Amino acid sequence: MRADNRISRSWPPRFASAPPPPPGTRPFRAGHPRALVIAAAMYLVTTAAPAQTPPADSKPATYAGSEACQVCHEDIYKAFQKNPHEVVEKDKRRGFETRACESCHGPGSKHVESTSAADIRNPAKLPVAEADHGCLSCHLNQPTHVGRIQSGHARNQVSCVTCHAMHKTDEELVPRRRAAINAECAGCHTAEWASFQRPYKHKLPEGAMSCVDCHNPHGSVFPHSIRTASANEPACINCHGDKSGPFVFDHAPVKLEGCTTCHEPHGSANPRMLTRAEVRFVCLECHANTPVTAAASRTLGGVPPSFHNLLSPQFQNCTVCHVKVHGSNVSQELLR
Amino acid sequence: MKIWLLALAALPLAAQQTTPAAQETPAAPVASTPETTITGSVDLGYRFNSVGGSLDAFRSVVDTGSGVRLLGLDLTIESATRKWFDRIDVRGSGWGGDPYTTAHVDAARHDWYHFNFDYRDVAYFNFLPSFADPTIGNGVFLDQQSFDSHRRMMDFDLELLPGHWIVPYLAYSRDSGWGRGVTDFVNGINSYPVEDRPRDSTNNYRGGVRLEMKKFHVTLEQGGTTFKDDQQVFTSNQNFGNNTAPLLGEQLDVTNLAQAYGVRGNSIYSKALLTANPTPWLDLFGEFLYSRPDTNVNYSQYNVGQFVDLTALLFYTSELDLLSGVAKEPHTTANLGFEMRPVRRLRVIESWMTDRLHTASSAALTQQILTPAMTTLLNSFTSLLVMNYNREQVDVLFDLTSRITLRGGYRYEWGNGLTDGALLSGSPTETGRLKRQVGLGGVSYRALQKLSFSVDFEGSGGDRGYFRTSLQDYQKARIQARYQLRQSLVFSAAFSVLSNQNTNPAVNYSFLSRDNSATVTWTPNNSKRVTLTGEYTRATLRSDLDYIVPQDFTTGKSFYRDNVHEASTLVNLLIPGFGANGPKLSVGGSLLRSSGSRPTDFYQPTARFSAPPYKHMTWYGEWRYYGFAEPFYLYEGFRAQLATIGVRFTR
Repeated sequence: MRADNRISRSWPPRFASAPPPPPGTRPFRAGHPRALVIAAAMYLVTTAAPAQTPPADSKPATYAGSEACQVCHEDIYKAFQKNPHEVVEKDKRRGFETRACESCHGPGSKHVESTSAADIRNPAKLPVAEADHGCLSCHLNQPTHVGRIQSGHARNQVSCVTCHAMHKTDEELVPRRRAAINAECAGCHTAEWASFQRPYKHKLPEGAMSCVDCHNPHGSVFPHSIRTASANEPACINCHGDKSGPFVFDHAPVKLEGCTTCHEPHGSANPRMLTRAEVRFVCLECHANTPVTAAASRTLGGVPPSFHNLLSPQFQNCTVCHVKVHGSNVSQELLR
Repeated sequence: MKIWLLALAALPLAAQQTTPAAQETPAAPVASTPETTITGSVDLGYRFNSVGGSLDAFRSVVDTGSGVRLLGLDLTIESATRKWFDRIDVRGSGWGGDPYTTAHVDAARHDWYHFNFDYRDVAYFNFLPSFADPTIGNGVFLDQQSFDSHRRMMDFDLELLPGHWIVPYLAYSRDSGWGRGVTDFVNGINSYPVEDRPRDSTNNYRGGVRLEMKKFHVTLEQGGTTFKDDQQVFTSNQNFGNNTAPLLGEQLDVTNLAQAYGVRGNSIYSKALLTANPTPWLDLFGEFLYSRPDTNVNYSQYNVGQFVDLTALLFYTSELDLLSGVAKEPHTTANLGFEMRPVRRLRVIESWMTDRLHTASSAALTQQILTPAMTTLLNSFTSLLVMNYNREQVDVLFDLTSRITLRGGYRYEWGNGLTDGALLSGSPTETGRLKRQVGLGGVSYRALQKLSFSVDFEGSGGDRGYFRTSLQDYQKARIQARYQLRQSLVFSAAFSVLSNQNTNPAVNYSFLSRDNSATVTWTPNNSKRVTLTGEYTRATLRSDLDYIVPQDFTTGKSFYRDNVHEASTLVNLLIPGFGANGPKLSVGGSLLRSSGSRPTDFYQPTARFSAPPYKHMTWYGEWRYYGFAEPFYLYEGFRAQLATIGVRFTR
């Protein structure tokens, strides 16, 4: 029993700036010693690295209550009253009642006494994983975060607070106006936003759409955090339901590689947001008449025949005849 | 209740006021009744439109018209009693004829419900002869794949008991499209541009429950969709089509056509989501998604004119086709993963995903040549499309210091696709295989909030892809950096590159794209007087791919080049001498210049002046210019000036 206690204090190592967990929550800890042998090895490696200096006073801080915070941080306290997180002040479920500030910043009794920034947990200055854990202690077990840990944002250390302003208004915490959402995303994804200045694009700058109509910034089962629709279809079909199918005669790339095989969804100088300047080049890149068999190249759609005279204007736009290019219910050649 | 009690308590005080003595005493405090507050703004305006050049191209790109508009509505209603709601947000834009009409309502009562409604009506016009006009050489400017249509989307979401352990929810959404356009009727060796009336709609109903417990969460959802497509294609005018050359002395034409698509579809789908943190060092997640859409088709076609059946070398003048078909597509997707933190600085993220669909369809087509009377032909078809995709990925993140995180990983993707063989390929099916092993790496550096950058890389030796242009032997990298020089001055930059090669001698595919962008934001004095944002992006794309020219079987090269310069800026200036709420001037816009396969110039300068004559009212005027030019397609250039005057009421 004593040995267990000893281990529980020294293993796993806690973040020096992290406070004891509030009642009802679980601390962000590294692995249990029984977990993996590799964990022990990594522990030896990492404990050899310089760690943050623990506070001189080892006596743990206690909760001081939000009113104690208000004394010095009046402006933040007032702004917080308009923030949806204000409900945390009444949250008995997680044990944060009257402790909304400390639900994120940890027990603040030492900070109240010393007024030193070193005595309070500041998520903005913590490593991203630690800062996010503060948010996830409440928000992890929610559907929003089903794909979070495999999302590009999580991998690239984009913290929750990068997009969500904790102390400010409802709109700044979770932007809901399309222009605000787009501005938030464009702050980092500048090249993508620049694509929306092209002539043929989805109508984001006009305010008809926002980035989160197509992407789930918290992660998704699909690459590029593309949202799902109707369980497991890409979000494109939310607005383009007529392209969803199933068709009696499907066009394989629509299902196998998605709309971006032929379209630039953010914007293009080519009509219909095509990836190439003219339709025939979009088609010919796969339907190239290459004289190898499909089995040899192990690719779809490249085999002969095509007998069209590409010098004739009639055959320079494939969709003039192959009108049902996304899939046809009548014609295997997608003619009607 | 408290209000009534306060009012009752104040009654004796009010009674005392009738006595002369009471007149000398200070007035008793009167309980104020809390009131529901409405805040927000309403923008009303009139837009003047002047377009030179191609009106069709203008409508295809911009499409805003003249007239009175409700340009913006943004209201927040906060209830004092909080009996039925705490707050309702109402937003809208573009009402009165703009091509993008939106409305949104968000209502909530804490712990009781959260409801939102979203509405969008997007006018979708496209008429660009450069896109699909085989007759343009004859002076006919007709995009044979054009449309003037609308898409309308509506979403209703109701969530009950938000914040509780058990949260039921219901949702309904509808997507519909209608309009008119031009499409082609294809018959034999000719195609005829004819009138098109697309009309489709999809209804999506879903409901579920979320269980949000301390250590885990489960969402169970059941939904269904219904779909219908009633497109009609018709003409009653003589039409010689795109191939006007007589065939064996016969001039082909269509004089009467009625094509009717009666497509009905439905789908049942299920969704199960899970997150859990059984121990403090382990987070789990998983999802299971299943859908089974079905489509039933009834198609009819009646055409009159002069047609040819080349296989029988038979000329005929009228035909009736009837088709009945069905397609089913069971589709299963599953995803499992975990994040493990064996030690403080180390995180291991593992995820696995599979996506499998199997489309099987069949159809029976009855073809009857009516004149001359021929035997009815009955053809039956079957078709299939199979996809089995799998992905396994492991990432290791190591916090080298509290500021630097290193990432490394490995992704393996594999699968196969099976589809019908090309008609004359001699094989009933084609198989494509996917096998891709990808190495992942990266580093993030975050020096407080002043400086941060991240580098991402992934590369694959590539083996097999579904298509010739799929990612095979590729490298992808991205660098992002942000530097806050001063509190009011922020620079950021991003660079990304993708290089993809398919060295199969029959393909010879080489693809390279680069995006470089830089942004500066200057907001001195907390944006009180001046703000400036500027952005520049340079994007290049090069794609080379072999193909066989069908008429002489020589090898051709498909080149695509795109070399784009994009810049945008916006300067907001508070006119000095009028205080913080004085007149404001905004000047900016964007420009795009691209060269390459489809050189394009697109300029969108804009200026806006606003002045508040009263506290809750602001007059404004806005000017916007659109200049669009394509050297290869000069007939699609346009210049448009849009001037808007309006008034904004705020409260």
